[in-house]
Amino acid sequence: MPNLFTLVLQIAVVLAACRLVGELFRKIHQPRVVGEMFAGIMLGPSLLGWIAPHTSAYLFPTSSLGFLNALSQVGVVVFMFLVGLGINPRELKKQGHAAVLTSHVSITAPFVLAAFLALYLYPRLSDDSVAFTNFALFMGSAMSITAFPVLARILAERNMLGSRLGTVAIACAAVDDVTGWCILAYIVVLIRSAHSSTSIWTTIGGIVVFGLIMIYGVRRLLRGYERVYKEKGELSENLMALMLLLVLASALCTEYLGIHLLFGAFLMGAIMPKQRHFVRYVLDRFETITVTLLLPLFFAFTGLRTNIGLVKGPEMWMYCGLIILVATAGKLGGSTLASWLTGIPLREAAGLGTLMNTRGLMELVILNIGLDIGVISPALFSMMVIMALVTTFMTTPVLALICPKEFLAREPEMVVTRPATPPISLHDGESQVA
Amino acid sequence: MSNTSRNFIVAYVLLVGLPLVGLAGVLRTGRSLVAPISVDGVWKIEGDASRLAAQPCAKSVSSLSNTSVVISQSGKNLVLTFNNASKTVASGTIDGKSVKASVVLTRDSSDNGCGDQPAAWTATIDPKSEPKSLSGALSFNACPSCVPVEFHALKQPRAAGGGAH
Repeated sequence: MPNLFTLVLQIAVVLAACRLVGELFRKIHQPRVVGEMFAGIMLGPSLLGWIAPHTSAYLFPTSSLGFLNALSQVGVVVFMFLVGLGINPRELKKQGHAAVLTSHVSITAPFVLAAFLALYLYPRLSDDSVAFTNFALFMGSAMSITAFPVLARILAERNMLGSRLGTVAIACAAVDDVTGWCILAYIVVLIRSAHSSTSIWTTIGGIVVFGLIMIYGVRRLLRGYERVYKEKGELSENLMALMLLLVLASALCTEYLGIHLLFGAFLMGAIMPKQRHFVRYVLDRFETITVTLLLPLFFAFTGLRTNIGLVKGPEMWMYCGLIILVATAGKLGGSTLASWLTGIPLREAAGLGTLMNTRGLMELVILNIGLDIGVISPALFSMMVIMALVTTFMTTPVLALICPKEFLAREPEMVVTRPATPPISLHDGESQVA
Repeated sequence: MSNTSRNFIVAYVLLVGLPLVGLAGVLRTGRSLVAPISVDGVWKIEGDASRLAAQPCAKSVSSLSNTSVVISQSGKNLVLTFNNASKTVASGTIDGKSVKASVVLTRDSSDNGCGDQPAAWTATIDPKSEPKSLSGALSFNACPSCVPVEFHALKQPRAAGGGAH
């Protein structure tokens, strides 16, 4: 049984720290989520455990972390459902060849560069229990992900959601995330099947059948939700509870099949109806508790696993710098180059590249999975968390530098051309965006 | 086929297709890389009781040689957390089959002469044994009356359960 006093104290401390640091970051024009990620790290061994080890041990005793983790995982399951709900890969089709190319290059460029980097890092930061292929593929998928929710939030704040830049960025991020999660699912299956009595083909077969049932069966049934919403303008509590049950059932199926809870939750969100008002309605129902209560616990749990002290010495910091450099060159550079080659002006292309380089919370989710399945070591995990923080932190100032407001005003094609109702405007740590 | 479509296909092949071929090459090359032997996990240590009894600071030494240790590995770098009363933490390295760590022994009030001094924890791993095993010694360079205490450690199976964390 959890020690309730400890658990409630932990939740209170985490919420207070996340709100406070999140607010401070907003003052420097950063999305709140970046501050919350920082707050999580501050509560872990990197700061609190370092300067006040006894307080840290009292607040976060090892024996209590399982409960904190369980709560945070529930939050991430709902979060992944909301991410899936918010993305609409069909948006990509509307953007034409330019977006297709940009999107695919923004995955392949960081992926391939990360694989090259893996050649260097594998003998230095991994061990022989991890196959090089798994290590390289994981590094690739971790570096090619884009924080779709944070990106949407930044665009909304800058009133760019309806601009060409905004719509292409949103479409590309959606494709990146779906692709990244598919690759990650493959890696998880590879690694777990090595320790399982079930053959990999049985697992893959099960996943394919499950996917087909979800896409061609469950998806049709889910249209009933949209129908009811159109008729009544709302969904009953029973229907909302059923939706949550479906999310949990889907999550359990993917966990049982040997991938991960989060894939099922994401898939359920992805196959939900995409009518804008319906999506907004569901987001409004779920996001407050998820964003304000459960996700900060995830940040804290991630922070407790992140020990920047493991990145010690010039050599380790050089690895960390290389990771940040390669991640940025691949994502920012690749997206910029591809969109520029397809005819987007260089400045706008650089703006798109900067947006695609946002990794935020999605990166933390992936990294935690990587650490859980043992494909990355604790030191590499800490380095990748630093990379996620740096690339997310740099987005707003770099974007302001490349595409200042005066530039937006001068460039007619970049001005918002339709009401800035975000396709998704949630869970970047800032709830209830109008 | 229009010029736009042709350009798109050329660009796609160059920017997406070629890098993927490169990726295949990297994955192929990487298979020949050798990473350090994995020692990550929980190890149950058993010290040589006869040597232990002869130590002037048997209690302190026993806390490191008759316990379990959690090794957290990042490449060649190791962090060892001993499951003793003071949760002694040490950093070490692995080089080939050789594991080395420097441990600062916490003074036990009933021991004389061994407290707060560094001890060298060295071991050799047998990667082929199942489960993996470590054989080594704990020695005190600054304690002339101390003799190295040999120990043997067996890797414990990972706790069952997948999923998140």
